[in-house]
Amino acid sequence: MQLAFPAKAAARPHLPFGEWGLRAAAITYLIVLIAIPVIVINIEGLRGGLDLFWTDITRPAALSALWLSIWTAGVMAVVNTIMGTLTAYVLVFYKFPGKRLLDSVIDLPFAIPTLVTGVMLVLLYGPQTLIGGFLDQQLGIRVLFAPPGIILALLFLGYPFVIRAVQPVLAGLDANQQEAAFTLGASSWVTFRRVVLPAIFPAMITGGLLGFARALGEFGSIVIVSGNIPMRSQTAAVYIFGQVEGGNMAAASSVSVILLLVSLVVTLGVDFIYRRKSYA
Amino acid sequence: MSILLNKVSKKYGAQNIVREFSLEIESGELFVLLGPSGSGKSTLLRMIAGLTPQDTGEIYLNDRNVTALSPQKRGIGFVFQNYSLFQHMTAAQNIAFGLEILRVPKAERDERVHELLGLIGMADLGNRMPSQLSGGQQQRVAVARALAQRPEVLLLDEPFGALDVKIRAQLRQNLRDIQQRLNVTAILVTHDQDEAFELADRIGVIDGGELLEVGTPYQLYRKPQHRFTATFLGSVNLLAAERNGTTIHLGDKRLPAPPQTDHLAGQSVEMMLRPESVEIALTPENLEGHLLGSGIVESIAFAGVLERVAIRVQDWEQTVHALVNPDKARELNIRPGDHVYVGVRDFHLLPLN
Amino acid sequence: MREKPVRTFWPWLLIAVVVVYAGLLLLAPLVAVISGAFEDGIQPVLEAITAAEALLSLRLTFFLAITASVINAILGLIVAWVLVRHRFPGKWFFNALVDLPFVVSPVIVGYVMIVLFGRTGWLQNFPIQLAFSLPGMLVVTVFVSLPFVIREVMPVLASLTREQEEAAFTLGASSWMTFYRIVFPAIRHGIIYGIVLTLARALGEFGAVAVIGGGVQGVTETATIYIYRSLHDRNDIGAYSMAITLGVISVGILVVMNWLRRDPSEKGSQHVDPTE
Repeated sequence: MQLAFPAKAAARPHLPFGEWGLRAAAITYLIVLIAIPVIVINIEGLRGGLDLFWTDITRPAALSALWLSIWTAGVMAVVNTIMGTLTAYVLVFYKFPGKRLLDSVIDLPFAIPTLVTGVMLVLLYGPQTLIGGFLDQQLGIRVLFAPPGIILALLFLGYPFVIRAVQPVLAGLDANQQEAAFTLGASSWVTFRRVVLPAIFPAMITGGLLGFARALGEFGSIVIVSGNIPMRSQTAAVYIFGQVEGGNMAAASSVSVILLLVSLVVTLGVDFIYRRKSYA
Repeated sequence: MSILLNKVSKKYGAQNIVREFSLEIESGELFVLLGPSGSGKSTLLRMIAGLTPQDTGEIYLNDRNVTALSPQKRGIGFVFQNYSLFQHMTAAQNIAFGLEILRVPKAERDERVHELLGLIGMADLGNRMPSQLSGGQQQRVAVARALAQRPEVLLLDEPFGALDVKIRAQLRQNLRDIQQRLNVTAILVTHDQDEAFELADRIGVIDGGELLEVGTPYQLYRKPQHRFTATFLGSVNLLAAERNGTTIHLGDKRLPAPPQTDHLAGQSVEMMLRPESVEIALTPENLEGHLLGSGIVESIAFAGVLERVAIRVQDWEQTVHALVNPDKARELNIRPGDHVYVGVRDFHLLPLN
Repeated sequence: MREKPVRTFWPWLLIAVVVVYAGLLLLAPLVAVISGAFEDGIQPVLEAITAAEALLSLRLTFFLAITASVINAILGLIVAWVLVRHRFPGKWFFNALVDLPFVVSPVIVGYVMIVLFGRTGWLQNFPIQLAFSLPGMLVVTVFVSLPFVIREVMPVLASLTREQEEAAFTLGASSWMTFYRIVFPAIRHGIIYGIVLTLARALGEFGAVAVIGGGVQGVTETATIYIYRSLHDRNDIGAYSMAITLGVISVGILVVMNWLRRDPSEKGSQHVDPTE
């Protein structure tokens, strides 16, 4: 019996668009929109020569802004890696009332504009509010216009990163591996440490690093909560903003270069972890 | 008595998964729990391991009541269908895991791991990661890991399910050797009758969460008590008949009752004919066994070693399948549409329900 | 069965820690902004939000977000297709580029635009005025929200087996027909989810549009810039009202996100027969 197949059947499946046109469009889009800006900022930052770059970057205000960005983002990343992993674990393995709500609310920081986050934190921890007033007068802790406020804002916006990275890995984990450990006499804790943790570790680090990189450049919420006090609560992004507004382009460029460099290294690091994982 | 189950039951919602399951397994025995998917056999195995809590009933391992114990404390080894090796550990580290939990000193641990790797024929592959091992190798590592702590009981959940046919046959023999050498009591769960026949000292047939019958492979294949067992273990012809005294009435034919079927005296029964016991001849005189009737050949199909012939028997309007030796088939020179006589050398009776 | 009903003490402690942390971190600020804005009742909020300049800024924000979403939906789909289906040298590099907008500070993005298109910029003679204008703001909005559609569509596209498309070809379907009838329905969910994320990100952008747009009242002032200016001008009620408005829109988007996310996973999380 002979079936008449259309002539196309034998041909290699085509793309719906011209192959080259499509590829050119995609590459051009990425280069124009992403690669060129990154190159531009580096050229601009180093245009005046390394000496000038060095002078700009070693100004006390610039250095302290960069350092503040890095350490607050670092603290956030550590806290949220731990809390995010715990949250993911609880969400995947336990059943409890309100679980669905919790799972939904976790994406809130992805949805809410960071500037709005800043406004919310001012209303929650401002000196004239209940909590802020208590912390300030009773415990002597300034939250707003100080590093704690920055860390709180970053904790808020960085919360989903580790959770959303770890959750699918945990859910996809072969439950039998844990059961195998149980039948070999391993307690729940030993099983977590020896079997679960190694499996989710790359996801934890990936999520943590992404959150860190994201926090490093955060502007909207911090500009509201930090009060923009140079040398005390001015982060790198806020510093750049200030320099641009003031027309001091060179200073803005040099700090941008450093900030961008750190982001790039972190992104590449994440890429590396991901790839190493998929090759293993 | 190595394993004793007493009326173990499990429900999920209103659905009975395992119902009042009682079973005794001797020390050193390899017991195969055979049943179709959804029969509750895996759940039962998991209950023995303590991985799934039972609703009611008791479980004893070596006269120790383990009903309330966690899986950690039952002293069992468990092999999962997908092996579930720890992906970030080498084969040797996987095997050593249970020994580390027992805080076995390093030197002794290494020695035991070495010994087990030898036992599974993978002495040189201890440093490989699971992802660098074939399915069959992973399966053997999983067995070695389960045996490392010298468990009293080894439980295997469809251990060959994910392997292709050739490797499966090899590993069965391998497993049987290891089990006999270590003299460990084992329960293996499977839906594959060939696997059950090849490995089992005894087979338990399970369906709908209930243990239908227990016996040696031969008993269950030749002299089953249940229709389900008869049909699940290989193909079979079932013919409605009456047993009066020591005679079987099949239509107008009279046959002598087979042994061990006295309890069915005076009942409507089903004659159970394995296709390999059915014979075909061109004349009634050429039959070695009892004449059943005559009919028309419907189809002849090549079935490997034997040829499968389907005959429509006119007397009781039913198709009977026979497995015949190809030489014999050639000698008869039959084709679809030919008229032949059908006889039976050996048969068994099942109660009609 | 993955989820276990909780029986012992430790799991409850873990759950409590997580719930308290998430509650304090995520919900307390939400409650604070609502109670803050409605301190004097609903009337002032309504007045503030219907003020001409507030409405104007909201309109601009929506215009930017929707336009950026459309652009990123179309080009994002193409980029995802090329990155998944094509093989060419340097592909890993372009793949890595896609993630950059996630981590580059929006302030830097706005600043780059000034460097290029500002009064003394490298391309100061560029025919279209980008600095301190709408087109420039659109460009940065597109930039910051670029990865979402791509990152949502790529994994789905990668998981599609080619057999389905090949089956369609053997049945005589044209390339376009195959894409439209076979591929598109499979990735539609990813595209929509990506667009929703794009929209959310674009609506809330502040740093980049503030730098490039300059925040000229009534011209380049988006809703977020409006909040910022209102805080400066001590127009607290205006800032809070707009914050609430954006917050409500975001929560609305979140609800849609969850509804989308739940839809396909629902099938997977159904009670599976645990017997075998």
